[in-house]
Amino acid sequence: MDEKTRDDLLQLFRSKFNRAMRFYLESCTRCGTCTDACHVYASTGQTKYIAAYRHELIRRLYKRYFKARGHLWPSLGEARELTDATIEELYEAAYSCTGCRRCMVYCPFGIDTQMLMSIAKLLLIGKGAEPEILTLLADTSIEKGKSMELFKEGFLTGIKRLEAEVVKQWQTEAGEAAIPVDVEGADLLYVALAGAHSIIPAAAVFNAAGEKWTLSFFEAVNFGAFVGDPSKTKLILDRIVNEAKRLKVKEVCVCECGTAYRVMKYLSGSQPFKVTSITEAHARYLKEGRIRLDKTKFPGPITYHDPCQIARNAGVIDEARYIIGHLTDDFREMTTDARYNWCCGGGGGLVALGDETLDFRMKSSRVKVDQVKATGATILSTACENCHTQLSNLNDHYKMEVDVQFLSSMVARALVPA
Amino acid sequence: MQTVYYIILVPMVYLAFGVFIVGIIARIAKIWREPPNPTPLLIHPVKKPGWLWTLTDTFLFPTVRRHKPVLWVFLMAFHICLLLLLIGHLELLADFALFQVIPHEIFLGNGFVGLILAICLLYFLFRRFVSPVKDLSVPEDYYLLILLFLVVIFGSEMDWARSWYEYGEMTVEDYRSYLLSLLVFKPELPYSTTFSGHSFMLILHVFFANLFLMFFPFSQLMHAILSLPMNKLRRG
Amino acid sequence: MADAITVTKVFDLKGLACPMPVVKVSKGIKEVQVGEVIEAHTTDPGALTDFPAWANTSGNKIVKTDQDGDVIKFYIERVV
Repeated sequence: MDEKTRDDLLQLFRSKFNRAMRFYLESCTRCGTCTDACHVYASTGQTKYIAAYRHELIRRLYKRYFKARGHLWPSLGEARELTDATIEELYEAAYSCTGCRRCMVYCPFGIDTQMLMSIAKLLLIGKGAEPEILTLLADTSIEKGKSMELFKEGFLTGIKRLEAEVVKQWQTEAGEAAIPVDVEGADLLYVALAGAHSIIPAAAVFNAAGEKWTLSFFEAVNFGAFVGDPSKTKLILDRIVNEAKRLKVKEVCVCECGTAYRVMKYLSGSQPFKVTSITEAHARYLKEGRIRLDKTKFPGPITYHDPCQIARNAGVIDEARYIIGHLTDDFREMTTDARYNWCCGGGGGLVALGDETLDFRMKSSRVKVDQVKATGATILSTACENCHTQLSNLNDHYKMEVDVQFLSSMVARALVPA
Repeated sequence: MQTVYYIILVPMVYLAFGVFIVGIIARIAKIWREPPNPTPLLIHPVKKPGWLWTLTDTFLFPTVRRHKPVLWVFLMAFHICLLLLLIGHLELLADFALFQVIPHEIFLGNGFVGLILAICLLYFLFRRFVSPVKDLSVPEDYYLLILLFLVVIFGSEMDWARSWYEYGEMTVEDYRSYLLSLLVFKPELPYSTTFSGHSFMLILHVFFANLFLMFFPFSQLMHAILSLPMNKLRRG
Repeated sequence: MADAITVTKVFDLKGLACPMPVVKVSKGIKEVQVGEVIEAHTTDPGALTDFPAWANTSGNKIVKTDQDGDVIKFYIERVV
């Protein structure tokens, strides 16, 4: 690696500094309490997957380039030069970490491994060594935001075809406007994913609850966050923020996508609208008696996988239980404490990388499979696209013989006609 | 030889405290000048009141108790003894009515505080020779533990000699006059501190303690100060 | 017009979850030579906007879009 590249990368490193990051870089005592926290370590037993080991890679660079000791006595803290070999190690650490933050629950200081890994991810981008598909997906999202007018028509055509399906399945009275788009003054802007499964059931529930809603032109998922590029994350987010402001909605409701929800909730800043997840919206409709569910629709025990970015990292926990309480009398918890739920093993962009990461995802998530099996449930529900894909993959690979379901789809299917 | 003793017991002590205090202030100032993190870093569900849970996490290490119970016993013993030791040293400076709520002889703990600390340090050290903690450790971790062990062992020896073997050549009064003279910047070394049979223990104790203090602000020992604000981020 | 397009490879992306259609297409396009055309079948409405946006970003060209019942067919030429 030449001098110039290294300087540029160190500049990127420096750009990630803030108070919390400095705390995390200064304080790890390598006490080893976090060893059992990572699902990858728990499933594979390889030291390089222990949280402290992952972030010590970052800390070694920090000691070398940002502390005097790195010059005076580098071997004291095993300070490390930034080289091509280091970059490879960073890739291994960052793209085997799903950013679930389970280790943060174990650490006596609460060191945030995901945040430290974001330094690794940014260095990888600077070196052009990140998974290019994630950058491509992020760029595609940004392009859609820039040239919305160009793509609007195609989008509306697609929506029209979905509307027919909503009407067919739920005999909704909303008629032609079963999926309203671009409605100024609506109460709620629903940000979905590109797939029909993310739009049709949601539409049915919104209509049944009599919500004044409108569908966003944009997909919720933020690939900028997956690849760890702060400026792209912001651009992708801003498309939705601007749309919400233009339509003057009071609430932005994010579909079942963990990253999208956490980014929207915590990075959109102070806005005239509130941010909710679709799980929160559904729980609210139930509480207010705006929708009713049929408990006989899903016989058999149901368990629920808390998506890390929605539960542990954004606090939507009780709402899901409240909904499931209306779907079954036989709910099986995976853990007694939601903070300790195992990650599905698909976060941090791993699922988006598709077949490339499939083998690793299966090997690294054995503990999740054991957790699901122990519940004895036949239906495995969750509220995140990433988790759903990963859990379905696990279901096939480990022959768990459960039915992996989106919670929102279950709500839609169990709707009792008014 | 007396010159070396003098250097360790007087100028080096001033230097060490200077580096310790200025170092910590400088490092904290540097960290606090950074902007706060743009997003909350909470772990949910958030329990109220947040500040109380922050204090619990910081001082009682509940996560260690849950996941590494043996380590927790040693950690608690270690940190409690560290606190008692701090009080013991303060009492070498002056009498504090507050500390004498439970009447005791100076130095506090009748020798056992140092003993427990030494045992804990050996445990911390030896667990770093076993995987997976071994794979996580860097040289600094071993050096610090060894250094601290040396500080504790020589300090304790003086205490043990007095408490258990009725060694009377170096008395609490001697330590006190030495420390007070340092405090008022009129350093004076009582005869016994440098010329008695156990002088070497004092010299080595102070020497290693000086090194420890000087390394403190630049090492992971900063966790002593940063643990509270970090736990606050997690608890809200 | 359709007759003029020679399709080198066909990708069935029906029913795939986000973002797999775009992922598969961007990988798939690398399997053909520059100037050749691939055909991608999808059912997701998002693809109607995702594919053109992806083409703009990646520098490839959508030469034709066909609807066949529920299925949307994209003909994409590898340009770069």
